[in-house]
Amino acid sequence: MGLTAVPDPVFSQLMVGPGTAIDPRREPGEAVAPIDGTIVKLHPHAFVVVGDDGRGVLVHLGIDTVQLKGEGFTLLAAEGDRVEAGRPVVAWDPAAVEAGGRSPVCPVVALDAAAGAVTAVAEGGVDVGDPLFQWS
Amino acid sequence: MGERKVTVTSEVGLHARPAATFVQTAAKAAFDVTVAKAGGKPVNAKSILSVLALDVRQNESIVIEAEGEGADELLDRLAEIASAP
Repeated sequence: MGLTAVPDPVFSQLMVGPGTAIDPRREPGEAVAPIDGTIVKLHPHAFVVVGDDGRGVLVHLGIDTVQLKGEGFTLLAAEGDRVEAGRPVVAWDPAAVEAGGRSPVCPVVALDAAAGAVTAVAEGGVDVGDPLFQWS
Repeated sequence: MGERKVTVTSEVGLHARPAATFVQTAAKAAFDVTVAKAGGKPVNAKSILSVLALDVRQNESIVIEAEGEGADELLDRLAEIASAP
């Protein structure tokens, strides 16, 4: 759906970086690693995977979900784990997040990327394994 | 070398908005700026990846360091951002 539509200016104004956002299916699901690499930071509501080239991608599960303090999120991996793209990292239920009055939209952000470095952003429906964007 | 030691009081720690604002401000400097947890290894304060990975939580202290023309003003500004509730 693109970052500019995310209901949080930190993301919509690209303050964290360029990327996109996923409007998840409202059913229990798993957030997966966006790239091959190492999980350098893992919170229930957000995680960062850094590839061998040193570039990191942030996946944030819902907006203001830090306030849930992990409730409703199950970690399926650990900090320091090496993961391949597509590997489940956190199980959660976007419908439950939404029922709690928060947006379940998931920003996926290229950290420290220059504006314009992210291109070919996917539009419409995506499935696990589909490319979301190109980071040149 | 100028430095500021501050305690992060924001409930979310140095994440989300405080982290993004902190990094954007540091990135404007022409000189190097680092941030570390008290007693820890300094990381690049201009990198959102480094700052998020540093994982500063509420009530933790950090040390911000910089040296160069205007470093004092920048450090004051960064200290203000990091210590804002």
